[in-house]
Amino acid sequence: MSPHPRIQATRWVERAESLVAAAPERAGHASLPVLASSPSATATASLPEQVWLAMHLPAIEFAACYADAQTGSGVSTMPRVVIEQDGRLQRVIAACPRAHACGIQAGMPLTAALATARNLEVQPRSVRRERKLLETLANGGFALTSWVSLEPPDAVLLEVRGSLTLFGGEAPLLAAAMERSLALTGVRPRVALAPTPLAALVLARVARGPVEGKSVMLGAPLAQADPALLLSRLAPLPLSLLRWSPDLLERLATLGVRSIGEALRLPRAGFARRFGKAQLLALDRLVGRLREPRPAFVPRERFVARCEPLYELTEHTAVLRVAEPLLQQLEQFLRQRQLGVTLLVLILRHRPPPGALRGEGVLTRVVLRFAAAELVATRFASLLAERLTQTVLPAPVIHIELRTGAGTPFAPGSASLWQPGEHGGAVGREAPAFLERLRARLGTQSVYGLCLLPAHRPESAWSVAEPQPLAAATAVSAKAAGCAHHSRPLWLLQTPEAVAIEQDQLAAAGLELLAGPERIETGWWDGNDVLRDYYIARDSAGAELWLYRERAAPHRWFLQGLFG
Amino acid sequence: MLMTQSACLDPVPQSALADLLRHPGLWRGRQTAAAGADTFSTGFPALDAALPGGGWPRRGLIEVLTPRHGLGELRLLVPLLASLTQRTPARWTAWIAPPFEPYAPALAARGLAIERQLVVRTGAELWALEQALGSGACEVALAWTGRTPPGRSLRRLQLATERGRTTGFLFRPSRVAGQPSPAILRLLLQPLANGAGVSVELLKSRGGARGVITLPWAGAL
Repeated sequence: MSPHPRIQATRWVERAESLVAAAPERAGHASLPVLASSPSATATASLPEQVWLAMHLPAIEFAACYADAQTGSGVSTMPRVVIEQDGRLQRVIAACPRAHACGIQAGMPLTAALATARNLEVQPRSVRRERKLLETLANGGFALTSWVSLEPPDAVLLEVRGSLTLFGGEAPLLAAAMERSLALTGVRPRVALAPTPLAALVLARVARGPVEGKSVMLGAPLAQADPALLLSRLAPLPLSLLRWSPDLLERLATLGVRSIGEALRLPRAGFARRFGKAQLLALDRLVGRLREPRPAFVPRERFVARCEPLYELTEHTAVLRVAEPLLQQLEQFLRQRQLGVTLLVLILRHRPPPGALRGEGVLTRVVLRFAAAELVATRFASLLAERLTQTVLPAPVIHIELRTGAGTPFAPGSASLWQPGEHGGAVGREAPAFLERLRARLGTQSVYGLCLLPAHRPESAWSVAEPQPLAAATAVSAKAAGCAHHSRPLWLLQTPEAVAIEQDQLAAAGLELLAGPERIETGWWDGNDVLRDYYIARDSAGAELWLYRERAAPHRWFLQGLFG
Repeated sequence: MLMTQSACLDPVPQSALADLLRHPGLWRGRQTAAAGADTFSTGFPALDAALPGGGWPRRGLIEVLTPRHGLGELRLLVPLLASLTQRTPARWTAWIAPPFEPYAPALAARGLAIERQLVVRTGAELWALEQALGSGACEVALAWTGRTPPGRSLRRLQLATERGRTTGFLFRPSRVAGQPSPAILRLLLQPLANGAGVSVELLKSRGGARGVITLPWAGAL
C-alpha cells in the first residue's frame, strides 16, 4: 500500500474533476471525445497495456428462454415473461415489450402479472441455457482476439489491444463485436472499451444501445492510457453498477456515497475496515491501480449437436436435409478453433416399436472417417450422402445426434496454380478426398495400399497397408530392395489353389515346365512352417503359372500365382 | 485494298503451316497422331511403332481384351507403370477390382513404387474407376470388369480421364470385341502359340491404324 493512499486518491479524483470542469460536454455526453478524430498512429502510441472490450447482454434471461426471440423470426403475439422462484413467491424477472405494454414489470409476482394479462406465456429461468448462450458469444469472441474471459451471468470480456490495429481502430472493432453477437446469439449487446476489465464492464452496463448505424460508439470511452480520463467517465456513475450487495449499497448510501467518484474519495483504511477489503480491491481494480487477472475461457474440444425433427424421417434425403444445419454448426465450431476432425458419427434414433417405451428406439450409427483432418460442411455432407445411401433405415428416424472425435489442428494447404497431372501440378486435397469418397461408399477395408515385409514365405512377404500420403521421393529403400524378388509372379492368389497332377507328371496335366524347383523351407519356429518346391510352368492356354509341390506326403500340388 | 490483296497473294510460309499441323490439339481425318505428342512409351519398340503417336495415349480410356486373366496383360503394362511411378508430383496407381492380389515383391522388383499403389476391392468397379479417373489423384487407373457396361457409362469414363488427366485401362473379356466402345484405343491380347510372348491386335485406335503386332517377351520374368 502506498504511504499516502488518501492523498493520492484524492489527487486523482481532483484531476479528473478539473478535467470534467474543463470539458463538461465531453463527460456528460457519451459521444466519442478525442481519439476518434485523431490518426490511428497516435492512438496506438498512447494505448495502455491492456484494452478490454466488454460485451454485456442486457436481456439474457429472456433470450435464453425464447429461442425465436433471439433470431427475431417468429414474433409471438402473446406477451411473454420469464419467472424465477424467490422464496415461496414466483417473480417476473424479464418481460417482452408487449408484456411491458400490459403493465408487467420485472420484480412483479407472477400472480399479479397473470391478473394483468391472462394470455401470458410463462417460462422459468434457465441458468444452463444462459450459460450456453454466453459460451456461444465467447466462442464468437475468438474471431476478435485470442483472450476471452467469461463474466457470468451476462457478459463476456475480450482483451483487444492487439486487435485494434487489425480492425482499423475502435469503431470498426466495436461494430464487429456487435455484429458477431447479433449473428450468434440474436441479442444486441452493450459494448464498451476500457483499460481495465472492471471499468469496461461497468461502462458496458450503462452503455446505451446503438440508435443508428454511425453511433455504434455510444458509451465507449477511450481506451486511453490517461487514468484521469477514465476516472472522469467513472466518477459520476452510480455505485450499484459494481453489483455489490444491496445491504452494502444501502450502508454507503446512508453516508451519502452513491457514485463511484464519491466512493473513491473516501479514506482507504477506513473504507476497507467498514465496507470490506474486497470492495477496496474492487475499486483499485476498477481504476487500474491493481491488476486484475482474468481467467481465460477454454472452449469445448468435442462437438455434440442434437436435433429432434418435427416429423418422422423415412427417406435418406430427409435425414440429410435435417443433418445439414448440424454440419454447418460443426464447421463453425471447427473454424473458430482452427481444428479439423477425422471421425464423424451420426447417431440416428428410430421410432420405437408400438408398446415400447420412448427411449427404447433402435439406434443406427453412421461412422465417417477421413483420410485427413477436414472441416468443410459441404464435404461432410457429400460423404454423408454417399454413406447414407448404403445404410438401411429399419424404422422412421425421430432423433439425430452428431458427434465428432477429438479435433486435430487444421493447417489449410495452399492451392496449386496447376491442376494435378498438368505441368508441375501437385496433388493436394484431391488424394485424401478421393480416398474418403471411395471409403465412404465401399467401406474402409476395401481400399488399401501395399507394403513389403522381409519374409521368405511368399504369402508373408507383403501386406495390406494404410495408404500413405503421397510423397515426392520414390527411391526404393534398401529394405524394399531386399524384399523385391525378380522370380516372383505379378499376381498372387489369396489362398493357394489345389491342382491335380498325377504322379508329379506336369506334361500329362498339360503343363510345360519352364523353371524350378526353387526350395522354400522356413517357418519351423512358429508352427506355421512351409516345405515347398516352387516351379514355373506354362499351361495350354499360354498363361505362366507359379506352382508348388509340398515336400511332405502326400505331395500335393498348389497354384499360388500367375505371372500375368 | 491493294495491301490486302498483295497480302492474300503471298504464299503462306510452308514452315508455319507445318508447325500448325503438328499441333497436338489438331487432328485431321485418318491421319495418325504425330510421334511423341501426348503419349507414353510402352517400353516395347515394336508396339510403340504400331500405336498412333508412338505409345499409350496419356488421356483417354484404353481397353485391353483378353480371353482370360494372366495371359500377359500385366507384363505388357509393367514398363509403363514403372515409368509412371517415377513421375513427380506423386500420384496413385489405382488397381480396381483386380482378379488376384497384386504381388508387392514382384512389383517392386520391376521398379514400381509400392507406396503409390492403391488397391480397391469393390463390386462397383466402374463407379470406382470413374472416381479414380476424375479425381486427379491417380496417375493411372487399372480396372477389371466382366460385365458389359452400357456405352453411356464408358463414355463417362472417357470424359473422366480428361477431367482428371489420368490414363485409364479397362480389362475386359475378349468376347466383347465385337461390341462398339467409346474407348480411344482397344487392344486384343492373345498368347503366342509357342507361349513366349503375346500378339496384340489393334481393334480401334485414333487415326484408324489396324494390325497385329507380335511381342516376344525379352527374357523370362
